[in-house]
Amino acid sequence: MKNTIRIERAIKDLTQEALANEIGVSRQTINSIEKNRYIPSTLLALKISEVFEKNVNEIFKLEEND
Amino acid sequence: MVEPNYLIIMNKNQIELRLLPKYFKKIAFGIMLATLCFILLFVSEIITTDKEVTKTISKSLFLISLLILSMTKNKIEDELTLVIRLKAFAASFIFGVLIVIIDPFINLLFEGAFLLNKGVTELLISMLLVYFSMVFIMKRNR
Repeated sequence: MKNTIRIERAIKDLTQEALANEIGVSRQTINSIEKNRYIPSTLLALKISEVFEKNVNEIFKLEEND
Repeated sequence: MVEPNYLIIMNKNQIELRLLPKYFKKIAFGIMLATLCFILLFVSEIITTDKEVTKTISKSLFLISLLILSMTKNKIEDELTLVIRLKAFAASFIFGVLIVIIDPFINLLFEGAFLLNKGVTELLISMLLVYFSMVFIMKRNR
């Protein structure tokens, strides 16, 4: 699975800390998701998509081997 | 936006752990400190109790403090810390089982020179210590 959180953050000019505060997680969690070390739950993915005002599958994309 | 009535409310309990409030950390450290004071008082012979009784009391108090610490909320609790907690609990459980399996063989090999665990309390304390180390390592590498 890959995601475009880093790009979306840059577009919205949000820091990892600001995004983390907005969705109620730690900065490290955002960092782990961006680096593909952690796959968020549906709940968190929906919260992230709400912040960026986009659909979940526009931010999170499946890869061939998923 | 009006939500359609066929939507089912999902249960969030799945991604939540019932943990103790943050102030329990102070209680746990308090118990730990009390245990240390109790041991010091015993060693300095201010209080004179039976050695075995002192050992049992101090080990139990230490175990209780570690258990409370392991079950207390941290500053930030989110789903990643929940995953870390569960993985660390699993690792400490596997560690405990392995120790129970390996211990008799090591005792046989070294004729009791390496007593890995002398009892259940020691095993549980070492499992909790493994839990804390695993949480520390995984939090650092997240």
